Amino acid sequence: MRLFLAIVVCKLLRFIGGLIGKGSSLPGQFALKVCPNALGRVKLPGTIIAVTGSNGKTSTVEMTAAILTADGKRVVYNKEGSNQIEGVATLILSHCTLGGRLRGDVLLLESDERYARHTFQWFHPTHFVITNLYRDQLTRNGHPEWVYDAVKAAIHPETTLVLNADDPLVSCFARNHDPDKVKWFGLDQCAVSTKEHRGVYHDGARCPVCKGRMEYSCYHYAHIGHWSCPHCGHRRHDTDFSVTALDLKEGKVTINGETDISLAFKSIYNVYNILAAWSVCALAGVEPGVMAGVINNYMLKNGRMITFRLGNHRGTLLTSKHENSVAYDTNLGYIAGTDKPCTVLVIVDAISRKYFTGETSWLWDIDFDRLNCEHVQKVMLYGKYCNDLAVRFKYTHVPADKVEVGERVATAAEYLRENGDEDVYVITCFSDRDKLLSLAEKD
Amino acid sequence: MELTMLHLYPDCMSLYGEYANVAVLRRHLEAMGVSVAVESALFEDTPDFEHADFIYMGAGAERTQKAALAALLPHKEALKAAIDRGAVLLFTGSAMELIGASITQEDTGKVWPCLGLADFTTEETGYRAPEDVVARTSLWGSFVVGFMNKCSDTYGVATPLFELVERGPGNAGDGPPEEGYVSGNVFATHLTGPILVKNPDFTDFLIRRIFELKGWELRSALPALPYEREAYAVTLKELADQDADDPPGPYRADR
Repeated sequence: MRLFLAIVVCKLLRFIGGLIGKGSSLPGQFALKVCPNALGRVKLPGTIIAVTGSNGKTSTVEMTAAILTADGKRVVYNKEGSNQIEGVATLILSHCTLGGRLRGDVLLLESDERYARHTFQWFHPTHFVITNLYRDQLTRNGHPEWVYDAVKAAIHPETTLVLNADDPLVSCFARNHDPDKVKWFGLDQCAVSTKEHRGVYHDGARCPVCKGRMEYSCYHYAHIGHWSCPHCGHRRHDTDFSVTALDLKEGKVTINGETDISLAFKSIYNVYNILAAWSVCALAGVEPGVMAGVINNYMLKNGRMITFRLGNHRGTLLTSKHENSVAYDTNLGYIAGTDKPCTVLVIVDAISRKYFTGETSWLWDIDFDRLNCEHVQKVMLYGKYCNDLAVRFKYTHVPADKVEVGERVATAAEYLRENGDEDVYVITCFSDRDKLLSLAEKD
Repeated sequence: MELTMLHLYPDCMSLYGEYANVAVLRRHLEAMGVSVAVESALFEDTPDFEHADFIYMGAGAERTQKAALAALLPHKEALKAAIDRGAVLLFTGSAMELIGASITQEDTGKVWPCLGLADFTTEETGYRAPEDVVARTSLWGSFVVGFMNKCSDTYGVATPLFELVERGPGNAGDGPPEEGYVSGNVFATHLTGPILVKNPDFTDFLIRRIFELKGWELRSALPALPYEREAYAVTLKELADQDADDPPGPYRADR
């Protein structure tokens, strides 16, 4: 009876919320008050996929849903990315019959890396995809090993783990887990791989198990690559699903040596997200041909890349989560890889849209030196924390005469509207991007 | 004028961009005409404490911190000798805990004997206290701003570096609103990140101590480098505005 009530409450609030455009976690929150063990009592489908990690959750979930749907499965998933227990409760209960059975063949969840254990005390995923763990929003996440411990506590022994073999910390999840219930994905050494580590800091410098010095035969980005610890034997596992060839410039990927995919967005992240989605869908029984049909040239709906016009400039906004140096580095690398003369505008105004902090140490983890290239002709540092950015740039090789500093984003927009016609790249976060986009014309 | 900085374990005890503390101090000293050599020591190395004028270690994750402790303990006597000689030492973030007598792990109860340069003890709590911080010290006049990201309480500090924490956690959650540790030229705080970038007065204070140690005379005012003081002022104002919206108790509120 309580479960029935909870489902009704959830559906009702969801309906009202939909009318007034309000949040996706509130209905679940109320429903859990009515029936605290609702998530343990509903009848869930035989395939439950969860995705967690520092980056790539939303994109991996979106592509996984697209593939499974193309395969004829009914997929229930959290599109809106409300990934804590209340949001998950909203999703599940609002998709239940009044008898408490989820209407779908697959439940697919993006799961917050720190709160997964609260959600999964009531049920556990059949497949748990873990994309990567690195420095991300440390003001709330602590540090990657702290997040590791939180995720570890959420793992059920019956769950099949789908792990990024190229991440030494993620690979630790396989320790003390039934080896038959671990599947691995990763990139072979390919054109993007480098011998040397690139970045300001190296979180793979030390083995996560014994803290001895690690060895890498190649890096794909940050601490992601082919690694091994000569001290304790922790090493990259052979992969079940692999990118066997990759040409980022051409946007071509080969999976398992047999399927070629074209990339709509030519980033190494996108490659990993595709591979993660591919792996879990293959495990769910989808044929390669079906997966390739969906993934080929797949345009993500949660677009993090937005084009605009400002005066005579063609602009591209590359959403880069503040407090996430890997996201910044990827986008800086993207700009460095272009070849036309350009201006780069970096905006740090509100560090988070969800909470206040004045914490700017993450700026020192970003490899801004990637902007030290000839075609980057000007770097504009704007927003409330422009001085912090300016100090940070004093410790790069970007020539001081290319750098301009100002507080008001509107001033930067006005200047660009009046001057020049070169390409403009804007690097900023969700919290700050509308401050510029609202002053530009949609492309 | 030449001096040597010793950066301990920069490959892994720099969890929140702490390497910048060494970089900014070096930049300031170089702006004063000092020739600075920065040496780093990894776990596998024997740190050269004998020639170090300034010794620094930043924050690390809990398991890395224990590995740093294991690496440093065999060199305790050499470190003590450097401190007795007057070398300036700054340990920030979780490195602060290594200076004390011990760290007690929350999950297992295991006690890790530390360097014992001070007699305070640390107990891990199992939850994190990530918070913006505003604090005061009598060593220099201005407010200190920063961020703390710890999962421990430190007890028994008789001589805190910051005598009054106006915002953010103190050494112990249920203790007085004091933070850090100071004794002679040994400075420690659980503030994370590039605190010397954020607090130019802290940098200047350390420079004066280093000049005293070296017996050098300060002939002119210390250099102010571009944007640093502006960045500090913006952060201080932001934090003050926050407090106006949500005034904290006279001291640290219990959580």
